[in-house]
Amino acid sequence: MNKLDLEDLLFEVEKPARYIGGETNAVQKEIENIHVRFGFAFPDVYEVGMSHLGMHILYNLLNDEADIFCERIFAPWIDMEESLRKRNIPLFTLETHTPIGDLDFVGFTLQYELSYTNILNMLDLGNIPIKSKDRGNAYPFIVAGGPCAYNPEPLAEIVDVFLMGEGEEILLEVMEKYKKWKTCGLPKKKFLEDIVHIKGVYIPSFYEIVYNEDDTIKAFIPKNKKIPTKISKRIMKNLDEAYYPKKVIVPFIEVVHERAMVEIFRGCTRGCRFCQAGMIYRPVRERSIDKVKELAQELIQTTGYEELSLASLSTSDYSKINELIRDLIDTYGSKKIGLSLPSLRLDKFPLEVIEEIQKVKKTGLTFAPEAGTQRLRDAINKGITEDDLIETMKNAFSLGWSTVKLYFMIGLPTETYEDLDGIVDLAYKVVDAYYHTPREKRGKGLNLTISISSFVPKAYTPFQWEAQDTTETFREKQNYLKDKLKHKNIKYSYHGTKTSFLEGIFARGDRKIGKVLIKAWENGCKFDAWGEHFEYEKWRDAFEACTINPHFYANRKRGYEEVLPWDFIDIGVTKSFLKRENENAKKGILTQDCRMSCTGCGIDQAFMGGVCNE
Amino acid sequence: MNKMRIRFSKKDWMVFISHLDLMRTMERVLRRGNIPLVFSHGFNPHPKMAFSTALALGISSDGEYMDIEVEEEIDLDVFKSSINDQLPKGLKIIQCKYVDVKSKALMAIAEYSTYTVRCCLIEEHSEEELKKQVADFMANEEIILHKTIKKKNIEQIKEVNIRPFIKNIEIINKEDGSCIFKMTLATGSKGNLKPEVVIEKLAELKKTPIVLEKIRIHRLDLYGVNNGKLVTPLEINV
Repeated sequence: MNKLDLEDLLFEVEKPARYIGGETNAVQKEIENIHVRFGFAFPDVYEVGMSHLGMHILYNLLNDEADIFCERIFAPWIDMEESLRKRNIPLFTLETHTPIGDLDFVGFTLQYELSYTNILNMLDLGNIPIKSKDRGNAYPFIVAGGPCAYNPEPLAEIVDVFLMGEGEEILLEVMEKYKKWKTCGLPKKKFLEDIVHIKGVYIPSFYEIVYNEDDTIKAFIPKNKKIPTKISKRIMKNLDEAYYPKKVIVPFIEVVHERAMVEIFRGCTRGCRFCQAGMIYRPVRERSIDKVKELAQELIQTTGYEELSLASLSTSDYSKINELIRDLIDTYGSKKIGLSLPSLRLDKFPLEVIEEIQKVKKTGLTFAPEAGTQRLRDAINKGITEDDLIETMKNAFSLGWSTVKLYFMIGLPTETYEDLDGIVDLAYKVVDAYYHTPREKRGKGLNLTISISSFVPKAYTPFQWEAQDTTETFREKQNYLKDKLKHKNIKYSYHGTKTSFLEGIFARGDRKIGKVLIKAWENGCKFDAWGEHFEYEKWRDAFEACTINPHFYANRKRGYEEVLPWDFIDIGVTKSFLKRENENAKKGILTQDCRMSCTGCGIDQAFMGGVCNE
Repeated sequence: MNKMRIRFSKKDWMVFISHLDLMRTMERVLRRGNIPLVFSHGFNPHPKMAFSTALALGISSDGEYMDIEVEEEIDLDVFKSSINDQLPKGLKIIQCKYVDVKSKALMAIAEYSTYTVRCCLIEEHSEEELKKQVADFMANEEIILHKTIKKKNIEQIKEVNIRPFIKNIEIINKEDGSCIFKMTLATGSKGNLKPEVVIEKLAELKKTPIVLEKIRIHRLDLYGVNNGKLVTPLEINV
């Protein structure tokens, strides 16, 4: 439609390349031949959004369709927003610099709760009303997916359609229905009715929530009988047959992750009780080693990247990981293409292999014991022992590593100060292990980082009923650790307690907190995940103005009988399994990795595919 | 081992990518083109690529240069067309040739750049007036620039005479409300002067009515000096 003239604007802002588009492998199409224009919106800046693998997959999937054109939309940085508002220029797509209001769809990916205010801000910058009910036929449909969509209710008034689960198939099915609707000239509601029966589609405006007097949910009721009462997530049964792009956009500017990424499997069988990804992405499905190699080769050729990364929730659990790594090193070492393996469990992985990968530079090791004592590690089903950690560290130090980062969480259910002492204890044992390594073997100067995050109970985990620690408790625990971790080799880092609190509210929020979100945005909140822009006072004022008690969401322990805001969504894992796991946590009973044998989570009943059927 | 010298342009949206972005983009383009690059040894191997002086963000250019080292001699026409197919819109190889492996580095060669500078005028101004102001400006033996420098975190103001860094200024086009200057200025380690600084100084000293926020700069070419004459990096010592 109308292409914006941005040149003058780009001379005003920092990092103008965030907004220009035109990168290698970015798609251009003749608009005349297009039936659906889709804007893939990432509610954060370009550098963050471009590092997200899911966006690259869905962007190319949609653009492989001749009559669909998918373009990218990111949150403009503060300076760009100011320039846009000053000149009355609407937010635009990167590919064609089209105002986002001219598109058929704007699809947001929900990766973290603290990006929600950016969604409202982006719609507003695009001159699109933020509430679903205020958007007539002249405006695009607003759809959303991604991990946070599993608790969609806080955004129920804003988003028209949620797509649950893996987007590869469902997106195309929805697009097909849209093409038919578009030619009919009927109201928007008709399209929503056309898609409501597609598995994985959730349309919040078709449902009503009834509350109890104590503000908990009484019932979740479809507005008419034809509407499904349960929404099931979508999954790809076979990753080898699932869509994967053969080329991805190569950014000009430095982004968070700049590398060719091949997803080696989805899901995780470990069953850590705090981990939402470990539950919602079940069942585990691996991509075959041949397919991984083929994709790696294609992506390296089409991007020119100097680094290849194997993506998954727990890379070392890939069944042929050693064979794969050897092969990739053999193939790409001589071309000076590096290999990166995020999310390794060091207890299960030979350091010698990592050493081979890091031949060039020993960049540092990261290890996530998560909790300080065996008792608590068992309670969260982490399944790592102190021996695992200390042995690995000894080995690493004698191989020359000297930079180590350990991740822990505070505020886990059943935690006591003994567990905090356990963190301190482990830290000093690692320091000892370093100094007991012969001087000629070990690297120079131990650099141990103890990184402490504040536990946020998430929907669909065994801890979904538990209370989150208050900000005061978190602060006390952080200070307690701070005092005890004063050592010349230890660097102690921790997160802001107020952002964890807010995350906790939205992670288990219901429809009612949507009001607070809107109010907070009206108060000026945006980029909440960026420390320098997070303004808690504005959020506090928003809760007060809406007379909503935030502690009800974050710090309240729920009973098993309570109707949870996300109960109507079926992720395959049953509520009874989650209850059983929560009880096991209290008793400190471990549940084994379900690759060993089925732990009865229910996923094999609901969804075919993955390890459950091997 | 072979060393290739490449002249390329950086235009359109590509003026908004930084020098560092440009270097990364070039490396990836060469990798996609399966060019047999020579890598540095040591802990963190990098392809042997060297650029001429960094161009500031927002400036377009037909005079950018880079040297690359390749394991085997590739046909130049094949190289040029295959890399141009890979380059994003706005970056384009104009010319390339092999130079002696031991030839002087681009950074050491660069001494002058020629720019065109498009300016908008606040009020109408005749071409004669403009020419006179430029001539008066150039007649100064000294043009003092007050530069703020930081020495050990203490801000100091240093006086620099920029006149020796200006080789030439002329007006090559004059239209209603705008004009285009062409200027040759010192570039590189021996002295470096930015075109916008010259325009700012001209506006300050001669009251030339230029809209300083709307200056658009284009580098035409880059030069070294050989026997007192300006020569491009493709003509020099090869």
